[in-house]
Amino acid sequence: MGGLTSVIRHASIVAALCSVATQELTRTACFHCGDPCADDHRVHDGKDFCCQGCAVVYDLLNEAGLCNYYELERRPGVKQAAPGEEQRAELFALEEVRSTLVEFSEGGITRARFHVPQMHCSSCIWLLENLARIHPAIMRSRVSFADKEVTITFREQDLPLPELVKLLRRIGYGPQVGAGRARQGGTDRMLLIRVGVAGFIFGNTMLFAVPEYLGADGEAGLKTGFQWLTVLFSIPVVFFLSTGFFRSAWAGIRSRTANIDQPIAIGIVALWVRSLHDVISGAGPGYFDSLAGLLFFLLVGRWYQAHTYRALRFDRTLDDFLPLVVLRRTGHTEEPVKVADLVPGDRIVVREQELVPVDAILRSGAGHIDNSFITGEPLAVRKVPGDTIKAGGRQRGAAIELEVLRTFGESRLKQLWAEQETTHHRPAMPRLIDALARRFTIAVLLVATGAALYWWGRDPAQVWPVVTAVLIVACPCALALSMPFAYGHTVRLMGRRGLFLRGTEVVEHLSRIDAVVFDKTGTLTAREAHQVQWHGPPLPMAEQELVLALARNSTHPLSTVLAHELRDLAPPQASHLREHPGHGIAAMAGGRSVRIGSAAFCGTSEKPRHNGEAHVHLSVNGAYRGYFSILKQARPGMVDAVHHLRKGLRTALLTGDAQVDAQLAGAFARGSITTGCSPVDKQRAIQQMQEQGHRVLMVGDGLNDAGALAQADVGITVTETSAALNPASDAIMDATALHRLPGFMAMARRAHRIVIASLALSLCYNLIGVSVAVAGHMTPLFAAILMPVSSVSVVGFVTLGAWWAARRTIR
Amino acid sequence: MSVIFLLLTISTLLASMFLFAFIRAVRSGQYDDDRSPAVRILLDDTVRATPDDAGASSHPSSATEQP
Repeated sequence: MGGLTSVIRHASIVAALCSVATQELTRTACFHCGDPCADDHRVHDGKDFCCQGCAVVYDLLNEAGLCNYYELERRPGVKQAAPGEEQRAELFALEEVRSTLVEFSEGGITRARFHVPQMHCSSCIWLLENLARIHPAIMRSRVSFADKEVTITFREQDLPLPELVKLLRRIGYGPQVGAGRARQGGTDRMLLIRVGVAGFIFGNTMLFAVPEYLGADGEAGLKTGFQWLTVLFSIPVVFFLSTGFFRSAWAGIRSRTANIDQPIAIGIVALWVRSLHDVISGAGPGYFDSLAGLLFFLLVGRWYQAHTYRALRFDRTLDDFLPLVVLRRTGHTEEPVKVADLVPGDRIVVREQELVPVDAILRSGAGHIDNSFITGEPLAVRKVPGDTIKAGGRQRGAAIELEVLRTFGESRLKQLWAEQETTHHRPAMPRLIDALARRFTIAVLLVATGAALYWWGRDPAQVWPVVTAVLIVACPCALALSMPFAYGHTVRLMGRRGLFLRGTEVVEHLSRIDAVVFDKTGTLTAREAHQVQWHGPPLPMAEQELVLALARNSTHPLSTVLAHELRDLAPPQASHLREHPGHGIAAMAGGRSVRIGSAAFCGTSEKPRHNGEAHVHLSVNGAYRGYFSILKQARPGMVDAVHHLRKGLRTALLTGDAQVDAQLAGAFARGSITTGCSPVDKQRAIQQMQEQGHRVLMVGDGLNDAGALAQADVGITVTETSAALNPASDAIMDATALHRLPGFMAMARRAHRIVIASLALSLCYNLIGVSVAVAGHMTPLFAAILMPVSSVSVVGFVTLGAWWAARRTIR
Repeated sequence: MSVIFLLLTISTLLASMFLFAFIRAVRSGQYDDDRSPAVRILLDDTVRATPDDAGASSHPSSATEQP
């Protein structure tokens, strides 16, 4: 159960429980996190655990009497992040970081708010709200699941902030620190209050109008009293509820662009002025009920549109990815220092699994640098003292000492990023509704003028009522509602299927895409899925066990793949283990001398390689046995998906790797695969396609795709966990849903067609209304009926349409 | 017919009270998170000593899935 899918807010606990129960558990699952356990896994307290980390968390919770955690949902735990994957805890002692988290601090009592993207189920909520039982200094903790945030009140002198962060990490809920995200809460609340006020005024104004419409002949004084009450109610409608529409319309006028809020603003003003005139002159009750109804429907539309995936972060900058604090070594002392303060010549220590934050020279230790963060390629590169290491590489071996070569600002990575951000000029996609709004406004003004001229000649007294009636009835309420609801529904329906859009406008962009560009590693191929094949005479079980005995003792990526592949075996103990950097491993196991590694290391000649596969050779007691070929596999269903996309769209594959394996190469058209791309190459390739007139969708995952994702008309980030670091993009996709991409695109196109149909429908209503108004037959009652009927029917039409489109395109 | 006007006055007053309560509720953040309160109400305050009885009581299928 991917963390992402559980973002869906409507998933009930019952549904969550069911989905876990239906998961096939063929292997022993970890009692804590539910990951499959190796056969030599830890059995502790009668439970199975996949790793030491999970067992430790279990112990911690057990001691604190918090084992309810395991009762609420099965295997709710979050796997421990590898050390160094997160920012150093010392970071939280820095005032800049502290101030972004701490909301309140007085008398030794501090309240801090943490973003914890790992939380995914009711067990998480329960544990995080019971932190006080784990540490006595924690007084209170409260979860906001919608924002994936936990607010903790604690005594800071007993538990300093960095220690609290360490505690959260120990139980698997390490908070994320990043550029302080502006809290959306304030505007959300205001919008909700506006909807409430609009609903209140709408309902009451309608009630006041009922006696009038029914022809009630109560005392005349009471009747006028109620009319003035509706005038009173209309004041907040115009001066509080409508301000957003006026502001947006005015901004459009100032920048000389048409938008849908302009005809709406005209309609609001016309309604109010005409109604005031009617009441003051005693001509009738006015159109106050229509005015309130208009604002109510419009605001509901706004509110529906504003609801996006708050807990997901779509805007990430480079600073979110790199460590902010690093250990600087001076003589024999080590002190944490901000990365931005490093100067060339400083000696820094990078521990296992930590990122190298600046360009630096390796001074001591064995560098085993994994550049997957930059290139997506997870196979680590060997570095020896004296080599240069670029910022962004991750150290996979023991701690190394580096000499800073360039400051953070001058490092290649930072420059690359800055360059991408300044050259990034995504062509603005014209919105359908804005193009329509311009013509609509012009048409309405023309009709009003025409009607005025006509009535001027026949009956000048009718000019004022007819012109105002035209402006009122032409107010494009239904038009303005169709898009928020059609696209809002589509966003939700896509979210349930694993694609999370940052906003409703992305649906429209997605519907007009005619070229799709993929990244390979991490996107089309899973980070972990490998196809391992043995070449040579059949390998007896005992010798397979020898391979595992060696492979599991090494952190080399190929060893990790082999160890994972052979994980079911029971290997003998290996002794005299020696790792020869860049060559292989030699050891004694089961009484035999075993070597795995390169061809030369195992005493044979290089074998022909196919399509970027890697070879691991084996020799036992000096006799060559054969080799394993390791090939990265495409995600299930991806080849079919690409074939499907090729039917109507241009597809391309841009990869930083030197070669693409046959399976994937066959899926793409000849000439549409570019290998050896740098991040800038990817961005340029997309720019070129855009210059040829294509609207490009980029699907990528790593930081190396960040520029391309920003350049493309729509950028989708593929992620395997919700807590992963994903670059800025328009949408985040659960990796398991990637094969549905053609379905999502078809769904967006259908949603677009539904919007066009609903626009036609609402224009029909406008046409009816305007013809009645021009003829001079408009009454308050007619407006009060037409307006809600048109709005409700349009909203109903797009709701059903979006649901039907989702059913037809994605099962 | 004038009774309608009396009823309207009363209903408006009532609705105003509800509106006031709604605005207070929104301001105090009750609508900020619609997931955790729904879960929170189902969570027990009692703490179980060991997870054994927990697993046995609420997840009868757990035994079969652990070979």
